[in-house]
Amino acid sequence: MCFKNLPIAFDEDGNAYLKEGVNDPYEYKVVDLGIEQDKLKDLMAKNGFIRSVDYDPVTRVAGALAFHSVVDLEKKKVLSTNSMATLFRGYEIILKGRDPRDAAYISSRACGVCGGVHATTSALAIEMALGIKPPPLGIVMRNILLAIEYLYDHPLHLFLLAGPDYSEELVAATNPELIDKAGNAKARGKAVHGYSTVLDIMKDLNPLKGKLYLEALSMTRVAREAYVAIGGKYPHPQSVIPGGISVTVTISTLNEVYSRLIKFFDYSQKVTAIWDDVFDFFLENNPDYNQCGVRPATMADTGVWDRPDSYDATFENCDKWGNDRWSTPGVLVDGEVVTTNLRELNAGMEEFVEHSYYEDWDGHRFKTDPLGMPLSPNHPWNKDTIPKPGKQSWRDRYSWDTCPTWDRLPMEAGAYSRMYLTAKAQRAPKSKFLQNTGHSMIIQVPKHTLPAATLEWKIPQHWNAFERNRARAYCIPYSAMVAMENWLLAQQLIREGETKVSTPYEIPKTGTHIGFGAWGAGRGFLTHHLIVEKGVINNYQIITPSTLNAAPRAPWGAPGPYEEAVLNTPILEKFDKPEDYQGIDILRAIRSFDPCMPCTTHIMAKDTDHVVTREVTTCACGIE
Amino acid sequence: MTNKKIAKTQTGMSELRAKKIFIGTVGYHILSNHSIGPILLPHLKKQNWPEGVLIDELNWGPIAVVQQFEAMKTPCDQVIFLTAIERPNRTIGEITVHQWLGGLPDRKQIQACVGDAATGVISVENLLVIGQYFKVWPAEVFLVDVEPGPEVAGEHLTEEVAIKVPQVVQTIRTLIKEGTNGIKEISYLRGDTLFL
Repeated sequence: MCFKNLPIAFDEDGNAYLKEGVNDPYEYKVVDLGIEQDKLKDLMAKNGFIRSVDYDPVTRVAGALAFHSVVDLEKKKVLSTNSMATLFRGYEIILKGRDPRDAAYISSRACGVCGGVHATTSALAIEMALGIKPPPLGIVMRNILLAIEYLYDHPLHLFLLAGPDYSEELVAATNPELIDKAGNAKARGKAVHGYSTVLDIMKDLNPLKGKLYLEALSMTRVAREAYVAIGGKYPHPQSVIPGGISVTVTISTLNEVYSRLIKFFDYSQKVTAIWDDVFDFFLENNPDYNQCGVRPATMADTGVWDRPDSYDATFENCDKWGNDRWSTPGVLVDGEVVTTNLRELNAGMEEFVEHSYYEDWDGHRFKTDPLGMPLSPNHPWNKDTIPKPGKQSWRDRYSWDTCPTWDRLPMEAGAYSRMYLTAKAQRAPKSKFLQNTGHSMIIQVPKHTLPAATLEWKIPQHWNAFERNRARAYCIPYSAMVAMENWLLAQQLIREGETKVSTPYEIPKTGTHIGFGAWGAGRGFLTHHLIVEKGVINNYQIITPSTLNAAPRAPWGAPGPYEEAVLNTPILEKFDKPEDYQGIDILRAIRSFDPCMPCTTHIMAKDTDHVVTREVTTCACGIE
Repeated sequence: MTNKKIAKTQTGMSELRAKKIFIGTVGYHILSNHSIGPILLPHLKKQNWPEGVLIDELNWGPIAVVQQFEAMKTPCDQVIFLTAIERPNRTIGEITVHQWLGGLPDRKQIQACVGDAATGVISVENLLVIGQYFKVWPAEVFLVDVEPGPEVAGEHLTEEVAIKVPQVVQTIRTLIKEGTNGIKEISYLRGDTLFL
């Protein structure tokens, strides 16, 4: 039985039911965060080494993610954390009352890098709600497109956002004791990447000028070119539609893609060797780095990349086609797989707003899913978002992000979650290039200019900032090989004359139709929950990876994933005076999640003319 | 002033071609006046423009925009961004033309801009700096920047901004036709002072 906290049980035939005899089955405890704040205030008054440190914004542009923490600079400990999404966007407001086909265009504009995944997830939600099964080539080409999107995203994050935190420049400024050691540390992957020492690698990780930094930019260009061959535009593809894709696919299209994709064969080998060397160096030289950003491997993932012979878009079969995906959907709790079924993943989802600028809502329209599995009033299909801007307070409400949970547990999301779950669950069908062992994923990378290689990502003992990034590096060969396997399938389909790429459909003007799209963003877990009524959108709810990761406290006090990861992070940075403290360990912890803040916050009002004024200052000064 | 430009061909021969001008809209959607670019994009696309004028949204990460400009077979001669950034001492709907003079902030700031780009943030300032760093901008880069007032959610422009739409379009046309000669007042932006 996968649920430990929600009142859902299963009979002998595996049918879910609401546990009987529970007075208020979905009730939950709301704790007073003020007690913790009073203690901190007291400590800060007594001890000069304890101070508030605000990372505002974590991204430079105000109005994205801000992070507040209280640190004890003498004991080198983080005492308290608050993750704040300080902006809201109205992408969901606008969808109410509209044609469901507008959802892809509007939702994909939420972000400057995640357009394709929002468009695809929206298409999947519509396909489920309206019963549209795309043809095999449409499914396969969508898989290739989105695998390529990850090939754009992962190098960008690894080398342009997180990479500089491990560069010679940053390490010399924050942990100079490691520089000499890095100079003497032989790089184990020299045969692949060409660097003799770890310091040589770190120098090329330097921002803006480092060769690895610039090479990553160049590789994102390669990925973009391949993406555009299918999607027309990056990052907002013009060809992703409910029912498949809207572009004619020929052998020439596939050749365009292949000539770019093969460049990722060598790059995959190089990137994984680079990051293995860098992260092994840090962890071997100071095992305390294992605690940087550490939290239990409690994660959710939607799975991604559908099998053309399995995906039929129906809710009824979603467990089957979900498990047939190249990446397995499901939930990990403390490193153990608790479900790989999309129905259970869906039923366990709830969103809470006790520490967010939203009002709670009444009503429990969908008490079960279409097959009878109980759904909470806080489930996305039941959610009604009512904005409630107000004073920012650590004791009460402090974020525009909500607190999504699965079975009442805050869940982490990331590209790495899809690899972790797939490797651990061993449910994905046999693959030409991928093998899941239960403790690792083995990836066969074909030769390009480098000889063919067998790469193995192993499930780590500690789930920390370093391992998140290491896993993300291995997601490059993972994604490339899924793209390659689908490319081969596309070739075969075209040879067999299966050139249809989309299924026509009409929006029904009557009745209620519900569906959800479950598809991973570059940053992991992404769902769109849709209700279509009388031909228009009645409700549309989006949960993005950063909605999960940047969540504020749960009503019962459990910290969100960023908050928990930072709370567990030791301060290993070297500094003489408190004024010199830069907070690199905390930033490494947050950046390891690949924050994508514009997607995080969504607002939905009752009508499209509803206007809500932003009343939240991003400055944390004076907040109680 | 003509819209034609002498360009060198690969064989060294000169040819007269229309200036290539890119009008790019930058900004998040669904933020009322702050979304003037996305809101006006369809309106702008429907209008007749001189030969060589391209109009498209640039509401995405600056790294992808840089790559888009690098991939152009013919580089642009002029770029005009339509934006709405809340600035002090302006009334809602006030139109300011900024000319981008180039220059770069320090490396730390440039990397911060790149970091934001990687997290999906859409910002014209980020775009200007990153484009400048990667040398994709032509000599003439302008911002037609409309004062949006405080950030609010909404899919429509407020009355104060809506009535300025013809003037916004006319300002863009003037920049295309006459460059800065036709603009009464122009302010300047530089990368090295942008974040001070």
